[in-house]
Amino acid sequence: MFLIRSGKLHPVYALVVLSSLLAGCGGVASEGFYGKTAAPGDNVLRYITGSEPESLDPAVPTGQPEARLLMSLYDGLTEYDPRTMQPIPGIAESWEVGQENTEYVFKLRKNAKFSNGDPIKAQDFVYSFRRALDPELAAKNAYLAHYIKYAEEYNSMRSFVRDKSGRFLLESDLNGDKQEAAPGTQPQADANLSEFRKFIDGPMRLTVPSDEKSRNAALEKNPKLKSLVEGAELVPVKAEDLGVEAVDDYTFRIKLKQPAPFLLGLLPHQFFRVVHRGTIEKHGKDWTKPENIVTSGPFKLKEHHPYDRVVVEKDPNYWDAEMVRLDGIAFYPLEEQTTMLNLYKTGEVDAIYNHTVPAAWVDSVSKFKDEYMNHPEVAIEYYTVNVTKPPMNDVRVRKAFALAVDRDAMAAFRKTTQPLIDFTPEGLFPEYEQIRSEVYARELKKIGSSLDEWKARKFDPEKARKLLAEAGFPVTQNGSGWSCPNFPVDQVEILYNTNDNNKSIAEFIQAQFKQNLGITLQLKNQEWKTFLNTRKQLEYSGLGRAGWIGDYMDPMSFLKLFYGPNNDSSTGWTKPAYDKLIDDANREPDPKKRFEKMAEAEFMVMQEQPVLPWQTQKTNFLRKPYVKGLYPNPGTLHAWKFVYIEQDPAKWDRDVETIFNVKDEWVTGHINRLIATQASLVEREEGYKTAGKFGY
Amino acid sequence: MIGFILRRLLIIIPMALLVVSLTWGLIRLAPGNFYSDERSLPPAIEENIKRKYGLDKPVYQQYLIMLGNVVRGDFGDSLKYQGQSVNEIIFRHLPYSATVGVLAYLLALFFGLTAGIIAALRQNSAFDYGSMATAMLGLSVPNFVLGPILVIVFSLWLFWLPPARWGGISNLILPVITLSAIYAAYIARLTRAGMLEVMRSDYIRTARAKGLDEKTVLLKHGLRGGIVPVVSFTGPALANLLAGTVVVEKVFAIPGLGNIFIQSVLNRDEPLTLGIVAFLSILIMIFNLVVDISYGFLDPRIRYE
Repeated sequence: MFLIRSGKLHPVYALVVLSSLLAGCGGVASEGFYGKTAAPGDNVLRYITGSEPESLDPAVPTGQPEARLLMSLYDGLTEYDPRTMQPIPGIAESWEVGQENTEYVFKLRKNAKFSNGDPIKAQDFVYSFRRALDPELAAKNAYLAHYIKYAEEYNSMRSFVRDKSGRFLLESDLNGDKQEAAPGTQPQADANLSEFRKFIDGPMRLTVPSDEKSRNAALEKNPKLKSLVEGAELVPVKAEDLGVEAVDDYTFRIKLKQPAPFLLGLLPHQFFRVVHRGTIEKHGKDWTKPENIVTSGPFKLKEHHPYDRVVVEKDPNYWDAEMVRLDGIAFYPLEEQTTMLNLYKTGEVDAIYNHTVPAAWVDSVSKFKDEYMNHPEVAIEYYTVNVTKPPMNDVRVRKAFALAVDRDAMAAFRKTTQPLIDFTPEGLFPEYEQIRSEVYARELKKIGSSLDEWKARKFDPEKARKLLAEAGFPVTQNGSGWSCPNFPVDQVEILYNTNDNNKSIAEFIQAQFKQNLGITLQLKNQEWKTFLNTRKQLEYSGLGRAGWIGDYMDPMSFLKLFYGPNNDSSTGWTKPAYDKLIDDANREPDPKKRFEKMAEAEFMVMQEQPVLPWQTQKTNFLRKPYVKGLYPNPGTLHAWKFVYIEQDPAKWDRDVETIFNVKDEWVTGHINRLIATQASLVEREEGYKTAGKFGY
Repeated sequence: MIGFILRRLLIIIPMALLVVSLTWGLIRLAPGNFYSDERSLPPAIEENIKRKYGLDKPVYQQYLIMLGNVVRGDFGDSLKYQGQSVNEIIFRHLPYSATVGVLAYLLALFFGLTAGIIAALRQNSAFDYGSMATAMLGLSVPNFVLGPILVIVFSLWLFWLPPARWGGISNLILPVITLSAIYAAYIARLTRAGMLEVMRSDYIRTARAKGLDEKTVLLKHGLRGGIVPVVSFTGPALANLLAGTVVVEKVFAIPGLGNIFIQSVLNRDEPLTLGIVAFLSILIMIFNLVVDISYGFLDPRIRYE
């Protein structure tokens, strides 16, 4: 009676089957392009952006489709470098980092304006940050800002505790470790400091939940806290207590509660982009409607027809408007892969978002070398190991499993990934990888091994069998295969969340274990929510599927997973020495030394193998050769002001496999002009020059 | 007659509330919720969301609040698309679905009736076999197969028509044909069967015996009785067509209500799902009523008590 009639229940599968049958039929245009290829005359880029945006309010949505769209409408303190996704100046012209990586002071450019012509000042950033963290806004992305002092406390509705003498209790009162001051805590000697500065730079105050029920629960758990709080006055943490400050109209200061050297890379996230206070206060929840919205980015909203198109046009008020080459962008919210490839092939769109070529098509589409984007991403696939249960509590068994899978064969099977043996994705952090191989070489020498031996971990069934034997599970030749009769297969299983793709990967790995170790593990799947809970509570035995996408372009975004006794790794693995290395790295102002500490940490965790890394993901999308400046960067987040349409076919991109080795004079010039105000970035660019990257 | 209509109209209200309540229960039984995604949220942020949307209240209270809103015809704001009310979304996207749906309906009626009548009149002729075979094909080929085939031929090979998206008349041609095919086939077969039965009945023989010309016999007497099964089929079918069909909207990227309905379920966007379910159930009940009333005009034997 209703909309879903029989026969319509599986349209997606049918489409995929049908389209894969017909994919081969598509003709190659005479020029070797995929379908109709002609640069649009009106200088408006037509881009398929994925699902319909949840909201045009940058503080609200969490998805990538929204992130890309919002990057056209709003500007932040920093922007993503279109090639590397590393931070480059946005509205902040330059910055200084101090107090052991806990203080960031930004100098804002004086010509930045909102789309209605209002100037953008430091106070606007203060407002934007406070608003984004308002518990009433209930932003899902708020956790990104929890490094800012009292941000988590404000966002989670906690209260300061003031005792009878009027003194605010400190965290150190509870923990008692008065000897070691919190990082970046300044002595209160300077009498000229403002009250706010004294408070925000002072030691961390103690907070408890404002909600009575949760507070009582917390107090019950901790008698010392209870005795401290009893009879004391509770003062709710307010927006004004956040560690953000307009020092003057064009100086914005952020104070963190813990060192976060990667903060600059986090700030281009849409969550931190600047919004217009007047508009939000006037229109409330309707402020993002086309007739009300005021934006701050290179483009402004022209039309919004939900589920059909979001059209933005160049904003003449934008501070960098003369360098914006597109007249506009039409974002088409569309998720049906076949449909978007049809539109691409008929020349109705110029580019498509990431992960959109179906696996069955990859072989035929990737032949179009000038259009198919196949580059590593800041995302990995791995299996977690529950290290708390035997036999997986034996590191030799964990290592054996890690060595027993042919990662090259897996990559060939997956089509859109590349092999991974460590925990940070390969090919994305060249500076880090350089230092890491030095650190690894040093550490390996200490244990009588070498870097070559380490690299052989990509696939080494021989050694895997040897390790298993050492652990008490001898593997014996059995005809043409292997068998491992002692291994308790009933205590180890592969857990994944229900999904066809996960299943086929699990089956591949299962077959590899059987083939190379003679061990047949059981597969088990659970619905997503249940699966997450099982994995987190360590209620699984053996292996669990996992994936991780970096929040920002820094190996720390991956290494933090193992940090702390209750870490997010879902493995049960924790080590104080590891936490110490991460702490030291976070406090380290020198980037090289910081990377050394992180490499040592990564080495430590990989030595103990609480995770089995399998693959680094790769981009998988199409873009017409005349669309320039749209790089397959590690998060496929495109800063639109660098994108342009090249009318002259002689200058179109050729063979995008080498896109990062070809110099685009205009993009490079634009970036060099922007970074000129920040010495550390000029240095970074010089590094690219020395390394001969980006066509230098 | 008027009493009958009033009674039926009054039943719509409790029926719609029942449908909405059942749907609400089903949504609550489904695992997951609107704010969950790949990354697990810190508990404090989850608390903020629950507080904001009243999910921290007891379940019966949430149900009563929901029911109260539905009775007032206000479904509130979508949970997924912030700042957009459910009513706004439904009435914004209905026209897209309705345009495609009504055009497909008219096309299906035209081809279905014509083919059905001719086939019935020339039973066992080449036209009869040909058109009924085509209709069988139309019934058996689902629209998620037909749509892509049309796209491949007319968009990817011939480059005549755009493969998808909303726009001009050329954008409408392929989705309308795709959508109408199955309905045209149904209507053709129903018309043929109905006409064959009616044309053999006594009152047609009487009409002929009165000396009426064949055209009057066919159109005035034959067709009226012959299309009763067609009417009972196309009434609810029109309701479905108006409200949008998921497959065609997905294949051709039409911003219609059908696609949004499915997305709202996948997103666990409770108010939006409830709003569309209520709207659809009312629409279907009204169309069924219209169909029931029209029987009286088509077949004089039918009386309303």
